[in-house]
Order: sequence, then C-alpha cells, then structure tokens
Amino acid sequence: MTNTSTIIETHTLCKNFGERPAVIDLDLAVPRGCAFGFLGHNGAGKTTLIRMLLGLTSADSGAMFIRGRPMPAYRADVLARVGAIVEEPHFHGHLTGRENLRVVAAVRGPEAYGRIDGALRRVGLSDRAGDRVRTYSQGMRQRLGVARCLLSDPELLILDEPMNGLDPGGILELRMMIGELVAEGRTVFLSSHLLDEIEKTCDAAAVIDRGRLIAQGPIETLLGGERRELDVGCDDAHTALDVLDGHPSVAGARETADGLRIVLAGHNGIADINRRLVGAGVAVFRLEPVRESLEHRFLEITSRVGAPS
Amino acid sequence: MTMGMGRSAAPHGGAGSRSSAPRGGALFTTRQMIGAEILKLRRNRGVVAFAFLLSVVVVLLFFGYNAIQHASNPAQNGPAGGALRFDRAARVLGLYFGGLTAILIGSEAGTADISSGVFRDLVATGRSRLSLFFVRAPAAIIVTLAFNALGFLLALAASFLLAGGQPTPGVSLILESAGWIVLANVVLAGLAVGVGSVTGSRAVSLTAVIGWQLLVTELLVNVTSLGSARDALLTPAAGQLAPFDAGTGVTMATGVAIAVLVGWLAVPALAGAWRTQTRDA
Repeated sequence: MTNTSTIIETHTLCKNFGERPAVIDLDLAVPRGCAFGFLGHNGAGKTTLIRMLLGLTSADSGAMFIRGRPMPAYRADVLARVGAIVEEPHFHGHLTGRENLRVVAAVRGPEAYGRIDGALRRVGLSDRAGDRVRTYSQGMRQRLGVARCLLSDPELLILDEPMNGLDPGGILELRMMIGELVAEGRTVFLSSHLLDEIEKTCDAAAVIDRGRLIAQGPIETLLGGERRELDVGCDDAHTALDVLDGHPSVAGARETADGLRIVLAGHNGIADINRRLVGAGVAVFRLEPVRESLEHRFLEITSRVGAPS
Repeated sequence: MTMGMGRSAAPHGGAGSRSSAPRGGALFTTRQMIGAEILKLRRNRGVVAFAFLLSVVVVLLFFGYNAIQHASNPAQNGPAGGALRFDRAARVLGLYFGGLTAILIGSEAGTADISSGVFRDLVATGRSRLSLFFVRAPAAIIVTLAFNALGFLLALAASFLLAGGQPTPGVSLILESAGWIVLANVVLAGLAVGVGSVTGSRAVSLTAVIGWQLLVTELLVNVTSLGSARDALLTPAAGQLAPFDAGTGVTMATGVAIAVLVGWLAVPALAGAWRTQTRDA
C-alpha cells in the first residue's frame, strides 16, 4: 500500500471542524531525502494536515503513512525518528535553552541526552544555552526549535513556517542548514507562506487550497512543466519572426517590446535559433529563458485569483 | 551566533543510520521524565518563592509570634514550643498552608506543559499522553514534600527549643504527624495535578481547588443538616486520620476516611488522564 520511495503518504484524507471541511480527500506523496515545500494560503489546511500527521488531532477518514507505517497505529515507533515544529516553537520560558532540551530528551529517551550539545552547537546556540528562553529572540527560539527536532536524529523533519521571525541572515543560514540535512539523507517537510523561500530551498512542493491538494511535484514541473519559453532581445522583431517561421524548435512566437517571446518545442535548439537570427542580419543582444516564479504560479493555480477581494 | 554548517557539528550519524524507536528502559525513562518535571517546578521562581512562604515562613511566623507573646507576658501566654504547639503547626502544614503549597505546586505541574504550549511538542515525540500525565503527580508530590519537610523540621526544632517547661512531642507523635502531613499533601497535590490537567489553566485550577478547600468545604462542614454527607469532604476525612484533634468538627470511621481520600485522589487523576488523552494538542 505504501511506496518505499515516499516518507509521507496520505490517501483520501479528510478532516472537518464541525460542518467546515478543513482537509478534503488529500492524496499527498512526499519523496524521501528531499526538501519538500507545502504551500497554501492561511487557513488552507496546512497546519491541520501537519497536526494529523503528528497525531495531535485525529483524521475523520482516509489513511496516513509515515516512514512506511500507518499512522496513528504505529505512532510511537514512527515519531521516534520525526522532529517537528508546529506553528511556532514553544518552550518553558523560565528554563534555559539547554534545560528545555533536557525536558524533551527525557521524553525522547536516553540517546537524546547525548545529542543536546551537538544540536545546540549546530544551530549556533551554544553560547546562549544557559540563558532563560524568555530572553531569546524569535529567531533564537526558531533555532532552538530546530535543535529540539535534532534530538530524535530525525529521518523526517516537519517544519511549520520555520522562517518566521528570522532576519535575512537567519533565513539564509536556515536554508543552508536544510540543505545539509537533506544531504545527510533526511527529508525536510517545510510549510511556508514565503514562496520565494520554498522555491530556493525545496526540490519539490505541494499546493493546498481550501483543504484540497491542487498540485504537487518537482518545483520545475510546478513552475510550468514542459512549457519553456525564451525571450529574445533583438533589433528587428519582424525579420526575426520570418526567419524563425517553421523552425523545428519553435512552437510559437510573438513580438514583445524589445524583441520576441518564443515558445520552444523542445529542450534544444536555442543555439541554432541564435545562429539563424545572426545569420539573417538580426542583431541579438539577449537570449533569456523565461522562468516563471513560484509565487506567480501559486497565485495562478489557487482559488484566490479572480476572487473578489 | 551562526548556525554551524560543518557536518562534524551534526549531533548524530545521519538519517537512516539505525533502527527507530530507541526508547531505552521504561524505568530509566520514567525516572528521567519525573526528573524533568521536577526541574520545571524547582526552576520556577514564583512557585518556589510562594511554596517557601507557605511552608517555611508561615511556620517561622507561627512560632515567632508565639515566642514574642510568651516573652511579653509569660503569665498569660505559655511557651511557644512544646507538644501542643507542635500539634497546631502540624495541622497548619497538613490542612492549611502546607496544603496550599501542595495545591500551588500540583496546579503548576498539571498545567505547565499545556499553558506554555510545550504539550504539543511532547505529544509529537510519540510518547504516550498517559505517560506524560502520570509523571506529573510524582514530581509535584516530591517537590511539595520537600518544602513541607522543611516546614516540618522547623516546627519540630521550634517545638523543642521553645518548649520551656512544657512537654515536648514524643517520637510516636512526631512520626505519626509526619506520616499524616505526607498523606494529606499527597492527596492535595494529586488532586491539584488532576484538576490542572483537566482545566489546562493554572489560574482556574488554583481558584477551583483553593476555593473548594478553603471556602466551600469550610461552609459545608458547618451545615450540620448535611449529616454524614459531610464525610465525603476531603478536609474532614484527612482530619479524621490526624494523630491529634484536627478540629474539623466532623468525625467518621477510619475506613470511610481512607476511602474518601482515595476517591479524592483517584477521581481527579482519572479525569486528568482522560483529558490529557483526549485534548487536542
């Protein structure tokens, strides 16, 4: 029933809050060993799904599998190698950072104690580990939350909006850290509203809208899949259109302010397009693949586009 | 303050390097979890300060006040120490101020994880919710008894040092009083942990338990028309087992008193366990 290449799978998962559906027939498949982004507007159902995955709230129907085992039936076994931050990391403010980790290590089991210093070092909190957490900034709390996740030597980290409260430097460090964690073979499941960050950090993503999964796959596929376009900056768009008419690599073309936008028919042919244009006397000063932003794609496929504000 | 980027800083051997569920021995883990609960309580300055005030400072004030009275008018006021004063100090520790310490610490233990939001993170470790609940009571009891032991030792010392010509408490009275204080505080701390775990709010828990114990119970005890229904109240049942006259105004069979205490411990514990199990984290 489960695929060994996926670390999270859900099948027709549903959750209602009273009459209001929060998650509807969700079929999600998160590949192992990647950074996976989970996108959605506020209230789309992201946190509800995360809470169901972690056994914090029950599903009404459907099935969930984490690390190949059904949840919540194998909850203890499954979550022993899962680290999670849900919504925002919470701590006992009157305890120090290290003491907060000791509290969780006590619950995790004896091996977790041995990981406390390493986890603090890894998130750059060794110097402040003896300070009470109530004196920590939001960014430091996020880092301590990541350190808490590392106590379980996690195969899977579930991070709900981990960039919240981080300054640009902190965001860059966290992005690099996620890259390291993935390089170690871990999977990072990352929910965020910072679409640009998901695009920079993740290999694959899913988009949820009003409880329904509306897209999932590698980032490149989400950004437009096989449709590739090329902007050509040139001095004579008319001639360029004539030259490229019938070219095997060109599926379509139209004039733009400084040249052409070409819809490519295949992955090759850009060099030949350039050669033919130059050969026909067209001065080419720019060849730029059109890269759609995840933000644009997200807004395009979610239901708020066109909705009355 | 940068996040370490080197692999050498990794606190582990990487994902998938070993099998899951490295839980360790149950006894070891339970001990560690109780230790963690105690850590949360003893590092809470507010709780520690008030517990010290209620268990130790109150005893100091009790004997200090009596000592001043005795010094100012020895003919009218007997010595501040002796067996009689010891009885009264034990009653204060068992039913009133020591009981408040138990309620304060029990409420904090029952609500700390929920009110701080850490409960969610602890549940997300996969550890059973029941085990998270059942380590709270032992921790609360240990911390409560530590403070009340200080108060008790202080009362004992004062009873001997300030006895004057009065008889001092005997070994049997001392041991029985200690046992009774432990019993009363165990029940009150357990009750407060249970109520705290049900409500999830320290303020609500403190108000409910203190209000019930110090106001409602005191009122009901004096409603004689309730007859033996008053046996079901915690304070008279605890008073019944005291090695001296606890002055609750209600008497009952020892077996009934024990059953009532067990009920006051068990029912809130079951309710707290149920709520911890079913609460949305």
